[in-house]
Amino acid sequence: MLESFLSPLYISMKTILASTVITFFLGIAAARWMANYSGRFKSLIDSLFLLPLVLPPTVLGFGLLLFFGKNSPLGQLLDLFGVTVIFSWPANVITAVIVSFPLMYISARGGFEQVDINIENAARTMGAGEWRVFWTVTMPLSWPSIMAATVLAFARALGEFGATLMLAGNIPGKTTTIPVAIYFKIQAGHMEEALILTLIVLIFVFVSLVLLAYWKGKAKKDGRNKAFAGN
Amino acid sequence: MLEIKIKKTLPDFHLAIDLTVDQEIVSILGPSGSGKTMTLLSIAGLIRPDEGSIRLNERTLFNSAEGVFLPPQERKIGFVFQNYALFPHLTVAENIAYGMHGRPKKDIQKRVAELLELINIPGLKMRYPGELSSGQQQRVALARAIAPEPEALLLDEPFSALDTFRRERLEYELLALHQYFKGDILFITHDLAQGFKIGTRMAIYENGRIVQCDSREKVINSPVNRTAAKLTGVKNLFDGYIASIENGALQAYIPEFGKPLKINYPETLNLSLNQPVIIGIRPEHIEIMGYKQENTIPSRVSRLVDGVTDLHYYYFADKDIGKRYNLESCTSRPLSPPNLDTGKSCFLYFPPDRLIVLTE
Repeated sequence: MLESFLSPLYISMKTILASTVITFFLGIAAARWMANYSGRFKSLIDSLFLLPLVLPPTVLGFGLLLFFGKNSPLGQLLDLFGVTVIFSWPANVITAVIVSFPLMYISARGGFEQVDINIENAARTMGAGEWRVFWTVTMPLSWPSIMAATVLAFARALGEFGATLMLAGNIPGKTTTIPVAIYFKIQAGHMEEALILTLIVLIFVFVSLVLLAYWKGKAKKDGRNKAFAGN
Repeated sequence: MLEIKIKKTLPDFHLAIDLTVDQEIVSILGPSGSGKTMTLLSIAGLIRPDEGSIRLNERTLFNSAEGVFLPPQERKIGFVFQNYALFPHLTVAENIAYGMHGRPKKDIQKRVAELLELINIPGLKMRYPGELSSGQQQRVALARAIAPEPEALLLDEPFSALDTFRRERLEYELLALHQYFKGDILFITHDLAQGFKIGTRMAIYENGRIVQCDSREKVINSPVNRTAAKLTGVKNLFDGYIASIENGALQAYIPEFGKPLKINYPETLNLSLNQPVIIGIRPEHIEIMGYKQENTIPSRVSRLVDGVTDLHYYYFADKDIGKRYNLESCTSRPLSPPNLDTGKSCFLYFPPDRLIVLTE
């Protein structure tokens, strides 16, 4: 009995953790690249990155199903190595990353573009290479945006349901996350169990937000005299 | 020595600059949008000119023919931005040390201490830029720019956001700094007095070109054209023509005055009879007379503006001339109230050696 509550919680946490870490770096890398890229495909690539945000989850899920399916080139290639993505835990992570990526990307990019170009240029004239400028100037100055972006990505990954259901399915103990479990409990008429799962989500989200606020407050306190003292 | 010879074309702007700075401070003066900042960004390597070359002490920073374009990191040029552009998340000491990355820690600490002493804020090294006054921020920006020992220093209107008192102190400190920093300095300003005070030479910009680059005395005393004259404070400019050239003395007829004025002949100009010219005089060079004599015109005071240190008079033509003109004169502020007031008539005397003759 307890297993049926703990298992979805465990799978959800594992998925969110993995997807948030991957999205964090992927989103920042894409944002940094796009902030400097000024080629003619800029708006095309930009739209592509934001697509998962506007697509209906079922469309996205179906697309992923086709992309990773046994009949797709990628599916066949993975099959050669004995890897099946569909209905496996990695499918949970893949969908979570794809749906949370646009949020991370768009907020991080906004943060990077907000940094005063003169400050970055000042670092360049003082001999700092592009990597040093990014890590010592651009990143610290866009840190509030990056943090907000991470929270959004985290929340989106937690709430992911539609595309996950299509690509990862509902295999208890393997791919069933909390939102999927709640849906199937209600379908089966187990209202009390759905309610318990809902409470677990509430507590989990609440604790996460409190921890985050504490961390944010601490960072702000440490940096009170730093970046934003003047603003 | 910094040698700049660059061209850059934008959709509605063309920059073509030829300028040399040799262990001195050159002030750049010009209206906004005339290419001043673009010149400095090109020198620093933050934008790329279309063609030409930039050399600094025998090093080629940019050469379009040879395809050389050194990135800003390798140019050894310090840049002070108009908005200071300090790193808000780093302390004063960390800001100054930023450009000395990779040197032994001891050397960095020593130099930071030395520079803090130089800019007179030794006690503020653990503060963040947001906690400093704008004057202190500007000092840190200066110290930070010269910390890595650049060979040239570029300043883009560095004192424009400061109040008069702080600005004057910083002007003085920049001059003192030049004794310490023995490189080439380019200094953008929109303030003539500041450009004169700081630069040994001045470059006058107009529409992406340098119309005049000379010693500051020459720029003030002999502007080359109307723009240079206006920018250097020659507020009275009149169209006229050469009425006579005799024995080194020149007479220029100005229709608005209805009479010729005697001018000491500027030998560098090749003037001929009836040639159209522009005659100019600075407000402070016009003398107010109570009686008529050579080189005077009758005028009536239309407005009087009382300044802290000087008194500005604005005039229009007195009735008997019948033509309209506007003139401005300026004198040191007298201790007692001036006896010349709005509406009163007087004669204005134009000293022949103070009149400026321009051909364009």
